[in-house]
Amino acid sequence: MSGFPLPRIDGANAPYWEGARAGRLMLQRCLDCGTHRFPASRYCAHCHGDRSAWVQTSGEGVVESFCTFHKPYWPGTEGAVPYDVVQVRLKEGVQLFSNLVGVAQGAVRIGMPVVVQFEAATPEVTLVKFREAT
Amino acid sequence: MPDPQLAGRFAVAGVGTTTYGRLPDHDPYDLGLWALKEAVADCGLAMSDIDGVILNRIPDYQRFCELAGLDPAYTTITPGHGRFSGICIETAVAILAAGMAKTVALVYGNNGRSAGDQYGGATDIYGSGGPGLWFPYGMTSPGAFHALMAQRHMHQYGTTSDQFGQVAMAFRDHAALNPGAVMRDRFTLAQYHASRYVCAPLHLLDYCLINDGGVAMILTSAERARDLAQPPVYVRGFGQASRFSGSTFPPDDYWAAPMRAVAAQAHGMAGTRADDMDALMIYDNFTPTVMFCLEGFGFCGVGESGAFVEGGRLGLGGQYPTNTSGGHLSESYMQGWGLNVEAVRQVRGECGARQVADAALVQYMTAAPVITSIVYGREAR
Repeated sequence: MSGFPLPRIDGANAPYWEGARAGRLMLQRCLDCGTHRFPASRYCAHCHGDRSAWVQTSGEGVVESFCTFHKPYWPGTEGAVPYDVVQVRLKEGVQLFSNLVGVAQGAVRIGMPVVVQFEAATPEVTLVKFREAT
Repeated sequence: MPDPQLAGRFAVAGVGTTTYGRLPDHDPYDLGLWALKEAVADCGLAMSDIDGVILNRIPDYQRFCELAGLDPAYTTITPGHGRFSGICIETAVAILAAGMAKTVALVYGNNGRSAGDQYGGATDIYGSGGPGLWFPYGMTSPGAFHALMAQRHMHQYGTTSDQFGQVAMAFRDHAALNPGAVMRDRFTLAQYHASRYVCAPLHLLDYCLINDGGVAMILTSAERARDLAQPPVYVRGFGQASRFSGSTFPPDDYWAAPMRAVAAQAHGMAGTRADDMDALMIYDNFTPTVMFCLEGFGFCGVGESGAFVEGGRLGLGGQYPTNTSGGHLSESYMQGWGLNVEAVRQVRGECGARQVADAALVQYMTAAPVITSIVYGREAR
């Protein structure tokens, strides 16, 4: 799926992308109330505490929904359509938009248990994708 | 809940609309001022009578008022998000009730078609997760967000594409009767299914238009409105609630909980119930939103909107004629403003071939991270 813009791996979310490159799904966790969050923010939206740490997570989740893009929104993605985007809820409660790896189009279903599957886009950037949990 | 004492104390005295479609010679200021001139003429006021201005989607309040020759006592401006039409109308009532202005003009101008606005791709910031966060996975656009909701609704409740198609067809049938609508050619369910997918399960015909146009409304006290050129259309009730928490992602309940709260506020204030409504104006950015509103605002049960929209229930002559102008899907993408004007025109009885017989109560509602609803009435109480 070349042509999709790659993330900036500096800034507040850098630990997320560095973790992905090292094969770990990292999320920010509030040290005051324990709530996980992503993307990064200074304050916890739950308790408003400002103490947090990046922690490794299970990488396990479930597909809450999916949609199939037929319109290419970026130059160079004309050959990528149609493609599926999944809405995943991780065990830690955080939600992500992502893609499934190794699941044929039309085979994705709501409620499917999934586990993180890292996919290197470039030597610097690894994307957080998912595969069906076995 | 808004103070029930305010029910029927303020009214829409004038409405104005531009033509809709492709208007490349008009910028948003021109479109807004065109609509405002129409609204002022509609109610028989002079531009100089306006002492409150609420702008939406127009880039700059100072420039707009300079161009309009206005020096209002109260001025504010809001971002060009569709959810703000209802917010602005409610704010107008609050400003009038507070005595901060006597005649409030709400002005909207949108040159999205001529400006080449894109709702997806590089400039997309829909949601709040930060621009570009999900682009690496190809996720973008308000349409995809609603496609995810539609898919889950289909999975949970057995809602079908045919049922989304029924909504689109009903509104197009209405637009066919509206000389001002941009898209007036009727289509069949087969043609709906044949329309290309943008983001499945949503077809092109599930999406609103992108076009140019302007809308203005003038609100004042009920007493004053009764002395003006048009019969007053009273603001009988309104409500607002939000669901910003976690709103980067679709809400688990399709916004049903905040919608129920808004419905209780609006009907509580108006002294009405959902089934008192003679016509509905539902913010139709995409067809599923219409179904979510029908459920959340209590017109049908949770999960039952699919079957509910079948059998012509949303059409003229149906139980709840909805978006009689054609809505955003077929009349014009005026981000709620056109629907509020249509509510006013229905209550006045000036809708011609698409007029709902004896339309005394019409409800506007929107589903988004901010939910609003307004009940308009022919009578003040």
